[in-house]
Amino acid sequence: MPPYDDWNRIDDEEDDELQDDYLEAKRDVILFCIDCSESMFAQRDDPRYEPGEVKTCHLQTALEAAVEIQKKKVIVGPNDSVGILLFNTTRKTEVKRSDTTEIKRHTYIYQPLEQISAPKIQEVMQLLDATRENPDELREAFPPLTGKKVPMGDVFTSCNWVLRDGYAPKTASKRIFLITDDDDPHSGAGSEQLLRSAKTTLDDLVQTGVTVEPFFISTDERSFDVAKFYSQVLPNGTTNGDENEESSTLPESISITRIDDLLAQMRFHEVPKRALFSIPFELAPGFTIGVKGYGLVTEQKKGSYKYFVDLGDRMELVNSTTRYVDEGTETEMDKSKIVYGMSIGATIADDDDDISGIGTRAVQAGKRPFYTAEEIRSFRTLGLEPKIRLLGFKDRETLLFEDNIKHSNFIYPDELIYAGSKRTFSALIKSMVSKNKIGLVLTLTRRNATPTFCALLPQEEKEDDAGWTDPPGFHLVPLPFADDIRAAPIEEACRASDELKDLAKAWVEKLAVKNGAYPPDSYPNPALAYHNAQLQASAFREEFDAESFEDLTEPKVDVMHRRAGKLIVAWKEALLEDDSASMVPATTGSKRKADVNVAEAEIRSKWESGTLSKLRVDQLKEFLKSKSLAVSGKKDDLIQRVSEWMESH
Amino acid sequence: MPAERAGYTVTMFLVDLSPSMGTTRNVELPPDANGDQHTAEITNLEYGLQFVKLKIQEMIYNGRKTDQCGVIVFGSEETDNIVNEKNGGYEHVSEYIPIGQPNASTLAKLDALEPSSVAGDPIDALVVAVETQNTYLASKKTWTRKVVLVTDGESPMETEDWEAIVQKMDTLDVWLTVVGVDFDDDELPFYEENKSSIKKANEEFLTQFASSLRTGIIGTCALALRETTKPDIKQTKSTLMGTVLRLGDTDTRPEEAFEINVKNSKCTAIARAKSWKKFAMRPMDEEDGMDEEDRQAIYAELKMRSEYHLDPNIGEDEDGVKMEVDEEDKTKALEVVEKEQLIRGFKYGSTYAPCPDGQFPKLPTRKGIDICGFFKAKNFRRELSMGEIQYIWADPGQPQQQVALSSIVQAMIQKGYMAIARWVTKDGMDPKMGVLSPVMFDKVECFLWAQMPFADDIRKYTFASLDRLINKRGELITEHPYIPTKEQQAAMDKFVDAMDLMEAGDKDEDGNRQPWFDTRLSYNPAVHRVKQAMFHCAVVTDIATNPLPPPHPELLKYFDPPKRVLKYAKDAIEECQATFKVRQVPKRVAKQRKDGHVHARYDDDEMLLLDKKPTTKTQGATQSPTQTRSAQSSPKGKAKETKPPDSETEDDESDGEMLLDRAAPFKAEHPAAKKPPSNHPLPTPARSMSPDPGRAPGRIIGAAFPLKDFRQNLESGDLVTKAVEDLGEVIKEIVVKPFAMRRKAELLECMEALRETCLKEDEIDAWNSFLKGLKTVCASSPGNSAFWSAVQTHNETLSLITKAEAKEHGGLSLILASEAEEFFS
Repeated sequence: MPPYDDWNRIDDEEDDELQDDYLEAKRDVILFCIDCSESMFAQRDDPRYEPGEVKTCHLQTALEAAVEIQKKKVIVGPNDSVGILLFNTTRKTEVKRSDTTEIKRHTYIYQPLEQISAPKIQEVMQLLDATRENPDELREAFPPLTGKKVPMGDVFTSCNWVLRDGYAPKTASKRIFLITDDDDPHSGAGSEQLLRSAKTTLDDLVQTGVTVEPFFISTDERSFDVAKFYSQVLPNGTTNGDENEESSTLPESISITRIDDLLAQMRFHEVPKRALFSIPFELAPGFTIGVKGYGLVTEQKKGSYKYFVDLGDRMELVNSTTRYVDEGTETEMDKSKIVYGMSIGATIADDDDDISGIGTRAVQAGKRPFYTAEEIRSFRTLGLEPKIRLLGFKDRETLLFEDNIKHSNFIYPDELIYAGSKRTFSALIKSMVSKNKIGLVLTLTRRNATPTFCALLPQEEKEDDAGWTDPPGFHLVPLPFADDIRAAPIEEACRASDELKDLAKAWVEKLAVKNGAYPPDSYPNPALAYHNAQLQASAFREEFDAESFEDLTEPKVDVMHRRAGKLIVAWKEALLEDDSASMVPATTGSKRKADVNVAEAEIRSKWESGTLSKLRVDQLKEFLKSKSLAVSGKKDDLIQRVSEWMESH
Repeated sequence: MPAERAGYTVTMFLVDLSPSMGTTRNVELPPDANGDQHTAEITNLEYGLQFVKLKIQEMIYNGRKTDQCGVIVFGSEETDNIVNEKNGGYEHVSEYIPIGQPNASTLAKLDALEPSSVAGDPIDALVVAVETQNTYLASKKTWTRKVVLVTDGESPMETEDWEAIVQKMDTLDVWLTVVGVDFDDDELPFYEENKSSIKKANEEFLTQFASSLRTGIIGTCALALRETTKPDIKQTKSTLMGTVLRLGDTDTRPEEAFEINVKNSKCTAIARAKSWKKFAMRPMDEEDGMDEEDRQAIYAELKMRSEYHLDPNIGEDEDGVKMEVDEEDKTKALEVVEKEQLIRGFKYGSTYAPCPDGQFPKLPTRKGIDICGFFKAKNFRRELSMGEIQYIWADPGQPQQQVALSSIVQAMIQKGYMAIARWVTKDGMDPKMGVLSPVMFDKVECFLWAQMPFADDIRKYTFASLDRLINKRGELITEHPYIPTKEQQAAMDKFVDAMDLMEAGDKDEDGNRQPWFDTRLSYNPAVHRVKQAMFHCAVVTDIATNPLPPPHPELLKYFDPPKRVLKYAKDAIEECQATFKVRQVPKRVAKQRKDGHVHARYDDDEMLLLDKKPTTKTQGATQSPTQTRSAQSSPKGKAKETKPPDSETEDDESDGEMLLDRAAPFKAEHPAAKKPPSNHPLPTPARSMSPDPGRAPGRIIGAAFPLKDFRQNLESGDLVTKAVEDLGEVIKEIVVKPFAMRRKAELLECMEALRETCLKEDEIDAWNSFLKGLKTVCASSPGNSAFWSAVQTHNETLSLITKAEAKEHGGLSLILASEAEEFFS
């Protein structure tokens, strides 16, 4: 028997759902860079509690957010690295090793950049716990620098060194989450020079492939003004020296936020934005723009377990490799020599004179009845190159609810491949929205994917109440092929009368949300959360408390009963009096059958009197079948199952 | 007639081996690699056998044990059949392959068949086949019986008593398919010229015979072959799975809650191509004394094996910087671990969380579909739908449940609602969230279920706004190359209207045009193409000499917009091309950089620094918070040479819109692109004072540093043809510019490099035609005869490449030495 996990492995040649693996393959590195100046320690009410009850400070909230992000990241990407750098503190970094560069004064490495681990997360959590007991704990741990500010240039230089010395693989995406509440760190003399040095060091940082994602904290008393300092420092369109150019725009990822929303804002940036594909979009022959595709909706699954081996002192991860073996000769075949064909089929038992053994095919030397990897790829792609090809437009209504097979992707213009993509793309969205059209496209997203027809659903940008913006772009909704569509197996059934329908309408209305839609944000995946909570408990060596787990996807039955309970009772009563209650379904088949239908009430009374065994097996089975329960097993099993159902109903 | 069920079938193939089947015919082969058409000469027998093999191949493909076949040949030299054994007669009919599940050797045996010297009677064979089949299926009464008769109808037939045979076949419920070689067919259509009278009579008889049967069909071989490659949808009947639709708390408040017994079945389900099996050729035994002819190549199927090993490099590596170990060292360092020693667990960062069962206890759940609430269907976000769709039906055996579900569906349709629901497929299974959409068919109501994302499944990436561009002073910008102008918007509106498909399809009965494209008619090209390929490779013995025929046109019918629409939209497309001016930006830009300072480009250190990490750079740029920045032009970013030239090649046009278009050089998509895009011959305007390669759109060689550009392109190696062509064009352009003589030395150097490359890279014709063109350019007005004179002085290094010289370098040229001399004189 093949090992259990073999079926989990996807063959690289044959897979077209590589996307998630691809996402996980790239590591993510985040360096939290948190301001520790006096204002960050200012005590204020914790909004989660009654006013005046619990105090917190910006630094505490920032660290809490950092912990939450680490906790989430560790599960999504166990190989990702995180570090925490604090600035404007007098605490000094102890130099542990000679090969690490001493970082700039008044910046402090709280946690060096390394792979996330349970002890690291717990370290911060313990500090935060202590702070809740004694609010001065944080101040003692990281005494703020008073009277002056560390030059931002120094902060960026330190970041650069931390990233260089830390565990940050070359291919990883590296990001700095800059958290500060000071919009003008260098207001005094020499500000020009400090600004310039900050800008230069930040430019250097960006040159090495690092992205800075600023989180600027705004308060009621003092709103954060980007124009004072940061808009001149942060990389944007003005770096070519043409300072006054009108068209320069601010970076897209600035978050100016109230501290309470910090975590929510960070969530938007939690996963680095990675494109699944970057391909041309051919609107018509000779009219092509560039687009990038993103997976905005992808099923997040539980991580798969890994194998470890006990080395005595520690557990070590074991990797697996796959080899392809000719079992007839027990020789391993090199991947480059593999050719592809189809199964040879069962052998005819008798006059089979095939001497070479099962699963082989003999041909004259020099001939090859199999395909090469390249050939089979061309069968899958039908010779297409990765591209989206517009076929035309259709009415929005033609995109049916049932024409769905998998999640959609999102495309956004890519100006770097085709200049002019953005304006074309933007005009296309506007046209299609105003005409209420969808596009029909043929897509081949990657070289080893298969051609698929997709509906191109335009989305205009729109801001919602929570401050989240629906990005402008198109959703690529894969359409089913004829091969994927199944016919309805049932063509006829009893219909409800208008009276019954109206009674149903009454309670349906009561249970409807007025202006809502399906709210994904309200439904965290309970099974995943349950798994992750246990995983975290296991890593922290804590006991998992299943009792305290709350499943938010369960229907809010109390509210439902309060609103519609009475109406449902009325509907149910009418249903019982409906003609259909006494109808016996037409039995199919010509065979004469014993009467196997026993009224539920009768079965219940037999159950109550403990005389279920008086019923025949076929009668029990019929009842179980009507309840969609299993009908397997001996009579005792059936009685057991009926009893269980009776107990629960 | 009982419904056809998959499998449980015995198909008898009757193959005509009469001498007339040896007649040869020409068939077209698919175009070879060069696109040339070839034909092959095959016998009628081989032709007819193709059909048999494809049918058998399909059985092998489906791999059903209950899908069996046997082969009976008639017109064979010998006689070997059960009817003859028992009763005599029925000569020259042989049971060639006994009934069984077919495999590759079945096909190999068919390949061994050859036309004989005696004629055989199809009717005799038919009787034998029916009898053989009947004997085999004596105890399997319910199996489907099929007979396929392949004949050219050129041999005499004994047609007496045929009604009795028909009756017998109908009693046994045998399905007959007659595949006639070159039979007349109205459907294809095909009519054979000069048909022999015997064939004519036989065809008529067989047609009558087939139509007398309850289930008999007759067709010509060509049509039958075409039909086998037509995409055919494997009908899968979805099973109805039972569950309950629940609302409210049925445990503690059952009177106010309800459960409806429902069944679910799939509405859409992704069909995937069958997976390929892996094979490899066994090493050939060199000492084998056999002749080349008899030597066999044996391909064996490979099995996958997994191996677990410990990578000692991990773990010791605490410095954080991962050592780059090359592949070879890595393999050496591996330590294989036995599977029994392994412990399951999860990674929690660098921490290990043991979990011996492979999973933690699961969330306790209860089977059923729970309704959580209702919302307006118009607010449904279609793009969130995550997977396959399911039907939810009321239990077909319980009228009351049907009425209950029907009342809810109707109520929801009237109010325009959808329901939010939580589905647990089995006790203890992980719940899924989704929506239920009410559907009313002619005579039945049901729900459609679509799975919707959890909060965890949604990625909230931020994207820059396309409309709201804010400059650094916090003001909204209304005019920008990213924002379409009114004119552009109008062109796009026109384009969208022109490309409408709502009336681009075929006409219906009333003559009204239908929408183009229908999911129910769009076959998955990959699935059917792979299937065709699998059939093909099992039928032929060599892929190289007998490649896969092209895909059935039905597979490709939706690959391009309808021709009518494209024709109608021609103007709109051209207008869009003209107003939007989209340009491809050359891909390989990471190598080149340029600073705002003239000297910086020669700064070797910086060049190196950047060249080292092209990947990181790209990544940095795409992820940088400002896409704006990278796209526009920054001192160090990638969009470097999107700067205009300030050389003499500049043009006076200056248009704000061109900001983005500035010389964004268009790189031909295919290295082999032959034509220089002549529609943008003028370099775009200059704005900046920094030097620029001065590349015209579509050129990879600029006027500013042609030689440098040329060498760079050669190094990268993939665009030689294009580089050669562009350099030639650039030289010709520079030559006629004012002050061109200042660059004489440079140009001559360019030409030398060009010639040298042409000679080496087999671009000899390109050089010769360039040189001729240059001569013309220099001679015409404004011209530059002085430059041509300079060229003439370099007779040695810049002459036409002659036949002799080309041959030396393994190339071809039609220029004779005398011609070359005359050309330079």
